[in-house]
Amino acid sequence: MKNKWDIIVVGAGPAGLFAAKEAASEGRKVLVLERKREIGLPIRCGEAIGHEDLIKYIPLEERWVSSKVNTFIIVTPNGREVELKSDIYSGYVLNRDLFEQDIACKAAEAGATIRMKTNVVDLIFNDDKLTGVIAEEQGILKHYYADMIIASDGVESKLAKKMGMDTHLKPTEIEACVQFTLTNVHLNKHALYIYVGKSFAPGGYAWVFPKANNCANVGLGINGKYATENKHSIDYLNDFVERFFPEASVQKLATGGVPVTKNLDPLIKENFLVAGDAGHLVNPLNGGGITHAMDSGIQAGKAAAEACKNPEDHKKILNKYNKYIRKHFGREHESLDRIKDVIYQLSDDEYNKIAEEVIKIDINKRTFMAVFSKAVKKHPELLLDVARAFTGI
Amino acid sequence: MLIIKDHCDQCGTCVAVCPSDALSLGEFKVRVKQELCTQCGICVKICPIKALELKNEK
Repeated sequence: MKNKWDIIVVGAGPAGLFAAKEAASEGRKVLVLERKREIGLPIRCGEAIGHEDLIKYIPLEERWVSSKVNTFIIVTPNGREVELKSDIYSGYVLNRDLFEQDIACKAAEAGATIRMKTNVVDLIFNDDKLTGVIAEEQGILKHYYADMIIASDGVESKLAKKMGMDTHLKPTEIEACVQFTLTNVHLNKHALYIYVGKSFAPGGYAWVFPKANNCANVGLGINGKYATENKHSIDYLNDFVERFFPEASVQKLATGGVPVTKNLDPLIKENFLVAGDAGHLVNPLNGGGITHAMDSGIQAGKAAAEACKNPEDHKKILNKYNKYIRKHFGREHESLDRIKDVIYQLSDDEYNKIAEEVIKIDINKRTFMAVFSKAVKKHPELLLDVARAFTGI
Repeated sequence: MLIIKDHCDQCGTCVAVCPSDALSLGEFKVRVKQELCTQCGICVKICPIKALELKNEK
């Protein structure tokens, strides 16, 4: 059969590229199809990641690092800055485009084929069995066939829906995000700033993540529930920048939707696997998804490769992938999702009061867990969720 | 009908929330299947940069 592959990966973000790299290293014939014209661009991300979270999946390369960070500073609606215990955290604000481009090289070196500007628009079924995808390429529809298909096609995923899985997001389950990369920003270069409160970003938060050369990713996400025709994310961001960075210039504008809900479960159906944002594999409290994309991509790639080798056991092998994700992210995300629902209901006044309490805690004991324990104190039933989410119990 | 303006950045937020599967990402712009659109307006509100608009048909 022409254009027949072992595995087709749809979407060349971190989930898809790690899946391709993994499956190709297992000796499978892998094709990656990407709608966009360039790997890693446009960047739709704050680009922050913890050191441990990154090196678990890939050795760090210096060129990926735009700046090194070692602390979090939470800013309340009245402008109070609360620094969290810094000696346990180390992380980076990445050049995510370079990062993804290098992963693409590694996937290609492992044997995967990547095609750009190839927009997968449909699935092919033969006697109800999924056998491939239809992709638009320079205006022509092309058919590609494979034994296994991995959908890592992002928050806007269409493929899982076509497979009969419910990936639709309600407005409450998504953050509408917009970000400027600003120049001429002069804050602590080693701190990740988080601005909380409804006045900054209702149902979400604003962030300032430092990058090299006095630049910073300055963005925010508002929960879809608070999106109105009168005030959109960009209006909140313009207000924010005018208030805090009147001297700065905009270098870049990025937009994006971040799923903030429980994981899609199951993430598999017959010979079809979902990974990354497409499976809502994002920390619903902070919107971070790079590590989840890498982890789910690697596991999906591994499972798909194994299932190709042992087709008679494919059901069991794919189930293992689903169980892995449920175990590693499922319960934690459910906890974080419950905490999120309470935290984002707080009024600006409540945030200010919580900060006054947190600031009394000795800085060496001032951890995220301590902060969230204070924040949910009116909901003691959530304390277990806080402990679970921040210690991995 | 639903209009996608030229400054659309193709982030896909509207596609993710569309309850009637009327939106998809094309090569340069979000594509609308007007026959599926129920004009519910969720996408118009959620667009981070105001790139969608519902216009009365004349």
